[in-house]
Amino acid sequence: MLKKISQGFRNFFLVYCREFKLVFHDQGIILFFFFLPLAYPVIYSLIYNPELVKEVEIVVIDSDRTSLSRKLTRMLDACDEVRVIGYASDLPEARRALNEHKAYGILQIPEGFAKKIGRGETGNTVFYSDMALLIRYRGFLMATTNVMQEIGSELMTQDINNTVPLASTVVSGDLLPINDISMGNIRSGFDSFIMPGVLILILHQCIILAVGMAGGAKRENPRLVGYDPVNIAPSVLSSMVAQALCYITIIAVPIIFLIHYVPLMFRFPMAGDFLQEIAFLTPMVIAACGLGYAYQATVQEREEVFVSWVFTSVMLLFLSGLIWPRYAMPEPWKALSAIFPSTWGVEGFIKMNANGSSLSQVRSEYINLWILAGVWWTIGWAVRKWIVRPQIFGRKKKFV
Amino acid sequence: MKLEKGIFAIAVRSLIQIVRRPIYWFGFFGIPLFMFLFITSMMESGLPHHIPAAMVDRDGTSLSREVTQSLSALQTVDIKQTLNSFTDARESLQKGEIYGFFLIPENFQADLLAGREPVITFYTNMTYFVPGSILFKSFKTIAVYTKAGVAMKIANSAGADAEALAPMLQPVNIQSRGIGNPTLNYGIYLSNSFVPCLLQLMIMLMTVFSLGQEIKYGTSARLLKMADGSIVKAIFAKLAPQTLIWWIIAGFMLAWLYKFNGYTMQGSWWVMALSEMMFVLAAQGFALFIFGVLPNLRLSLSVCSLLGILSFSLAAFSFPVQSMYGAIGIFSYILPIRYNFLIYADQALNGIGIYYSRVWFAAYVAFIMAPFAMLWKIKKYMKDPVYAP
Repeated sequence: MLKKISQGFRNFFLVYCREFKLVFHDQGIILFFFFLPLAYPVIYSLIYNPELVKEVEIVVIDSDRTSLSRKLTRMLDACDEVRVIGYASDLPEARRALNEHKAYGILQIPEGFAKKIGRGETGNTVFYSDMALLIRYRGFLMATTNVMQEIGSELMTQDINNTVPLASTVVSGDLLPINDISMGNIRSGFDSFIMPGVLILILHQCIILAVGMAGGAKRENPRLVGYDPVNIAPSVLSSMVAQALCYITIIAVPIIFLIHYVPLMFRFPMAGDFLQEIAFLTPMVIAACGLGYAYQATVQEREEVFVSWVFTSVMLLFLSGLIWPRYAMPEPWKALSAIFPSTWGVEGFIKMNANGSSLSQVRSEYINLWILAGVWWTIGWAVRKWIVRPQIFGRKKKFV
Repeated sequence: MKLEKGIFAIAVRSLIQIVRRPIYWFGFFGIPLFMFLFITSMMESGLPHHIPAAMVDRDGTSLSREVTQSLSALQTVDIKQTLNSFTDARESLQKGEIYGFFLIPENFQADLLAGREPVITFYTNMTYFVPGSILFKSFKTIAVYTKAGVAMKIANSAGADAEALAPMLQPVNIQSRGIGNPTLNYGIYLSNSFVPCLLQLMIMLMTVFSLGQEIKYGTSARLLKMADGSIVKAIFAKLAPQTLIWWIIAGFMLAWLYKFNGYTMQGSWWVMALSEMMFVLAAQGFALFIFGVLPNLRLSLSVCSLLGILSFSLAAFSFPVQSMYGAIGIFSYILPIRYNFLIYADQALNGIGIYYSRVWFAAYVAFIMAPFAMLWKIKKYMKDPVYAP
């Protein structure tokens, strides 16, 4: 009995050590374990790092030509989001500026604008926005809303004072100041919004791609790969655990880089507690290994992982609820999202990282991750036992 | 066995290779079609409605309840909770139960009527951009609305006719109109760029994968012999059947986006069809160029994956090139999808003359021509195939 146990440990340890050798023999896997988590997030973060979209070009059609219309233009130009590049005489001319990709918005002030306001009516203007990018529209909307309010309250106080002198005792200055506060991502920056989630996605994909490729390598002709990639102990589970432990050992440093140093470098929100975040991500990493083992069922050759897994990055980004909130997803996709560790990993991590949630506040995500770890490891075990192993042994006989 | 030669024989061989392996079925048909359906159906409703939010009413007067009621009446907001303190609301937000909350301070009504200028504050969770932004807009509308109502009340109490004052409360109105997408449909905005970008990813991967397989298994020498040693002939015959498949898929994509999903199509179908057909060739050309630079199956697949996935951000579908760092933004222009996106915006969304898109079409041609510069190297490697894992 004791001998059996010690033999088991020995096998376990042998597989663990040999897996290191295999990983470092395989440039493809090294790329997934090192280049992907270390270089990719930096490139990615740099793309969005300017965070805000400022000074988007617009043209103005001022058919009113009064001091008030010029004031409106000036105030809009003063906004961070907008830059007035010039005046156009009519709509076709303004459209031409849009068509030539010189401007992305048009402010149209109709004739009689100031007169209407003077009469105590509402002066209507129209803002046309190019809709190729929603973030530009968002900036325009912010700017026009602010200007509308500012100029509005200025005129309102003035008007009310003229009409009802007594009211001035009450309506002096701002009647009711309105404060808006962005939580989590306090600058409302684009990088700080998307990247923390993407970091977790990158980690998730690194593990699955690497495990998938390792699975493919085991089925290849050893002469083609240049070494014997088979590395299994008599017990299926023991070799799975040993290999996963090897991968986790390797990925430990990249994980710390991903969740601590990348946010530090790019000034992303970092409201979470580092140790709690690590504790939270542990089941995700374990579950991702399990998913990787299950995925090995379909990988017949190393390079297939690129064809059959890379596209999931796009799918998982959507499923994580980062772009489109989970509660608003169609039911089938919501169900699909629940089976991937990345969904819960991203959701929990951004709550912790940006909103400063504690581990107990993301309890449900944490529990889901452990459940998924169990489920994927069970499926992975079945795959290894009944699909991968028979194939490997079948092949070995063929080539010996 | 006699070696069959000629373009036709190679093309048939290429087709048989595709039919025989499931991975090709997935890559050519399964994945693109599934993702078309996935991306478009995800955002079917246009914009998320009924965003969970909370109300923190520390005042509890008729005025503060009015605010709560007008918030609840909005289609965009769903007041899930009525809480008593900021701390409760923050915790609820941290747990992800709500995306934002509206806070009315103590003695709100009394202070307001006495002119002590109470402050309304609303909090939105900008970690989630879309619901956060929509909540922001809704909250702001209600806050401004409340302010106007109060001003009217005060003027009324000072003896002015509230009816006559109404326009005075909003002297200037700037109405926003989104050209081509007036309802701010998120699907129109995102699907039209993400779906072709996914197609680009798959075209690049499959082009490199199928060519790399020839080198990996040493069949490329035979392929070259079938083409009488002409690399142009060999590559053309090998990839032509794939081009046909991709054209069918791209044609379906066009119909899927603009017909079945009814996304804005203000321009000419023919111009868009031309754009998609050239796009397929450009993506193949781009992949071929990469394969020429790195004729190693795994390395070129890695580069194609990297660029293919980075394209989703780098091609500036959501964050404009003009706002990126110059040194990064410039890479946007080495991606075929960038031009596909620009043509889509010009033609389908804005429906402007093809003249304005001439440069983007010319860029496609550059991508189609690019691999010719690398064919010599591909030929060298095809002659003596060496597999490096």
